Amino acid sequence: MAGSVRPLAVERPRAGLASWLREHRQLVSGLGLLLPAFLTSLLLSVVPLVYLVRVSLTREATFFFTAEHTVENYRTIAERYLPNLWETIYLAGLSSLLDLIVGYPFAYILVRKVRYRDLVRATMMFPLFGPLYLSLGMHYLFLPNGPLAPALNLLGIDGTSLLYSLPSVLFAMAIFTLPFMVMNIGAALSNVDPMLEETATCLGAQPWQTFWRVLFPLSRSGVLAGLLMCFGWNLGVYVQPLVLGTISEQRVLAIALYQKGVIQFDYGLAAAMGVVLMALAFGVTWLSLRLSRGALGA
Amino acid sequence: MVTGGKTLAERRDSVARRPRLWTSVVRQRRRILDLVQHGYIWLWMLIFVLPFLTTFAYSLRTSDGISLSPYQHVFGSFKDNLLLSFEVTVISIVLNLLVALPAAYAIVRFPIPGKGLLLSILNLALYTPAAVMGISLVIVYNFLFHIAQSLTGLIGAYVVGTYPLMLIPIIVALRDLPQVYEEAARCLGANRLQTLFRVELPLLGPGISAGILLTFVIVFNEFLVTLFVAGPGNTTAALRVFNLTRTAGIQPSTAALASTMQIVSFVVVIAFFRFFGSRYLKGTYLI
Repeated sequence: MAGSVRPLAVERPRAGLASWLREHRQLVSGLGLLLPAFLTSLLLSVVPLVYLVRVSLTREATFFFTAEHTVENYRTIAERYLPNLWETIYLAGLSSLLDLIVGYPFAYILVRKVRYRDLVRATMMFPLFGPLYLSLGMHYLFLPNGPLAPALNLLGIDGTSLLYSLPSVLFAMAIFTLPFMVMNIGAALSNVDPMLEETATCLGAQPWQTFWRVLFPLSRSGVLAGLLMCFGWNLGVYVQPLVLGTISEQRVLAIALYQKGVIQFDYGLAAAMGVVLMALAFGVTWLSLRLSRGALGA
Repeated sequence: MVTGGKTLAERRDSVARRPRLWTSVVRQRRRILDLVQHGYIWLWMLIFVLPFLTTFAYSLRTSDGISLSPYQHVFGSFKDNLLLSFEVTVISIVLNLLVALPAAYAIVRFPIPGKGLLLSILNLALYTPAAVMGISLVIVYNFLFHIAQSLTGLIGAYVVGTYPLMLIPIIVALRDLPQVYEEAARCLGANRLQTLFRVELPLLGPGISAGILLTFVIVFNEFLVTLFVAGPGNTTAALRVFNLTRTAGIQPSTAALASTMQIVSFVVVIAFFRFFGSRYLKGTYLI
């Protein structure tokens, strides 16, 4: 085939660009169709992130006048903002674990027992509208004259001590990402044949043995993908600590970044915090996509 | 053996000796287990809805008993914010369609080298935490593009953050659509544009609607990137809720606005599920 094409090409050597375009028409029109999307991403996502890295290597707002290149910002983060970084990772990690503990049985029952799945799915929409309404709602829930007050009084808990505390922040973060965890584990579990569990039981395994030796290993990829996804979402947590947390929870990087960048105009330090957060988030997402092979299998 | 130290034969004998009691115990235990399992699901369903219900209840509670008067603010002083939110959402949906449709078409139907890498570049904004996206856009808008605090910049931020979510359902729908329809239309004499508008777009309807739904839910409720990028003149309703949460959080009118936002979003989502089902939302933000 190639042999029969080559003489033709030799016959017309002058038609350079035009013939190349004609031969690769499919490729050219495909690239043309991709151009708007590519330009949007390039201008509003790639360029800003590259800029972020460059600004993070200059002092305060000097980048835009006479750039003073320095790694001072990263040193500041290592010296003074390590607690903030740990707080972020700690909150995100703990809430993801909470999601796993709560979400695994939820996903299992949902996949195996529940017939009213549409109803469950409809209620799961509310957390997905965003952490802001969630935090506001929990704020009202824990107010001294709120609906939970009688129950809390009965248990001898002061509602206001729950209002601004670590547990309520964690709980709000966990509810926000629980749908993602349930979705991931549910997808993995619905691929596991119920026959396998029945077989294990018939062969004399106790329920916890069936879970630990059969069910869990078969759904491990879903569990890992879910954990990483929840962790990635919760790394950028902003509003839950602000509305429900104490000063200790409000150290999270996103809040510190807003303070430095938008209020104090210390773009260098804010950009450096952004780079740290971005590196963490991209690493986690990359791992999670490798494990779940992405939504598109691409 | 594993089953409590009894051999299978002994077990069978004991079951045979008192059959009625044994089955009733098993049945009762199974019923309790069922009850516990469904109870667990219902408990979490309640927890998912509880913040909204509390907000809604709080919005009705004024100094003179239960009344709808806080909702006067929603259509009074908050009306501009709501209108701006709708406007921005509609513009973002239109721009997303213009960007995502050709891109999805190219990715599915044309031989593009390096599709995996390309998709990850297009999806980059999806994986960036909102605060990072906010600060990087603030820097670029202020000093490179010079569109700081403008509506253009705000819509740009929404489009880059949400068009990948438009892209995914359309790609899924396009992959489901056999190329036979397109070829048949072409054979019967339709040109490329006619094929696109009369054959393919109607068949892609559910996928496109899924993309519209996702864009709507996210842009309508987005507040964090907005907080960074929007100027004082462009306060969307979600950002207004955030600002009010920080200043006048215990006012019933704040709860009224938050409830309205959630009710609108919920009605749109449920209407979508009624009409199209959840097929094209698999692997995206919702489901």
